[in-house]
Amino acid sequence: MITGDAYLVGTGVLFIAVIICMIALMREKDDLHRLILTGSTEVIALSIIAFLATDLAEALILPGLVVSLAELVALSEIYINKEGLPPAPVQEHTIEAFSSAPPIIGCILVIYGIVLSGFTGGAVAGVGLIFYFMCLGHHEQFELLETVSGYAWVLWVLAFFIFMILPSYWFFAVMMAGTAIFAKVLIKMALIGTMKPSGTREDTDHV
Amino acid sequence: MFDIPIEGPALFTLAFGDIVDYFSPYTLILFIFAALFIALAILSRPEQHTDIIFGTDGVYTKGIPADQQKFQRFMAIACGLAAMGAVVSGDIFNFCIFTSMVGLTCIGIVASSQSRHVLNAAFEYGIVTMIAMIPLFGGAALIAATTGTLSIWELAKDTITVPFAAKTFLLLGVMGEGMAPFYVAKAEITRAQGAPYILMIHVSSLLIFLRIIEIVITI
Repeated sequence: MITGDAYLVGTGVLFIAVIICMIALMREKDDLHRLILTGSTEVIALSIIAFLATDLAEALILPGLVVSLAELVALSEIYINKEGLPPAPVQEHTIEAFSSAPPIIGCILVIYGIVLSGFTGGAVAGVGLIFYFMCLGHHEQFELLETVSGYAWVLWVLAFFIFMILPSYWFFAVMMAGTAIFAKVLIKMALIGTMKPSGTREDTDHV
Repeated sequence: MFDIPIEGPALFTLAFGDIVDYFSPYTLILFIFAALFIALAILSRPEQHTDIIFGTDGVYTKGIPADQQKFQRFMAIACGLAAMGAVVSGDIFNFCIFTSMVGLTCIGIVASSQSRHVLNAAFEYGIVTMIAMIPLFGGAALIAATTGTLSIWELAKDTITVPFAAKTFLLLGVMGEGMAPFYVAKAEITRAQGAPYILMIHVSSLLIFLRIIEIVITI
């Protein structure tokens, strides 16, 4: 934990940053620029927490970051709706390796992810699936996967309740949380790979 | 703890590990109030906005698309749940998180609207809530830095003094997050389509203001 002078100096610097940000927000008239500037105010708010420099600060930053990111995304959506902006055009790329490599590399990454398990495993396997879906496209509906992801998240929360209420069943809860977070991270990341709006690989081949 | 006049005796505590939520007559009333309005949001049907065609006897009704209504109802319920969490929380940081969730869901309630002036008001309010996160989280961080704890149970003890600046920051932050009714009035959306859900904005804002007063007096 930082104490005494260092903390005072740090908060002083952050206070100056806050003032600069406020002046910038006051002078700026363009809505998009103001949106970006509020992003920088979020960074300052998180820095103030980070300056605690304890384990507690680490635990506090994550929810703060999630809430601030959610607000930033919500505001961006409102901005797009408000200005009536069309979705950005997508550029197709056709590279030979993108049609042959995905099954092998995706498979390796998913198996390695299952071995790792937990959050890291979910991330690794998810990267494999992102690569696969982005390169080869997809035809399925993904609402089912989203539902599974939601239930996995509920399992994860339930595991935490077991930790708090029935601590003697901790091993069961660890297993449950590990599996659930694996499924959740994996599916969430796989969905990123399916975000390409139109023109799957097969479609472009026929054209 | 529980020795200020508005608070009343302790009724019930709910422990999640070391985070202990508490109900006193004061917070219980706020909790029931939030629960009541969640029930209203679930049960009530949205108001249909009727306009008279000028110079004739004709009227027309502006309906709400079903998906928009679903989204507004979901956001109103989420807003009520966040306000519930904020009024019973026994931890300053949880209160801050729930308060910023109230701000986020207040944007969500009006975000599915198609009219531009409503979206403009929501955008302006969103920028205020994001700026308000600096004093809100700054106040919480300052309390943790000076006292070493964020639990209201600990902070309420006489041996710990919370700096006046931290209390002011918390209050400022809640003022920013609870600014929503001002923008509702500014955009005149109180009687726009989906009126019962807009009520939740006012209710949640009122609840977090009442709770921060209790917190500032207690700690």
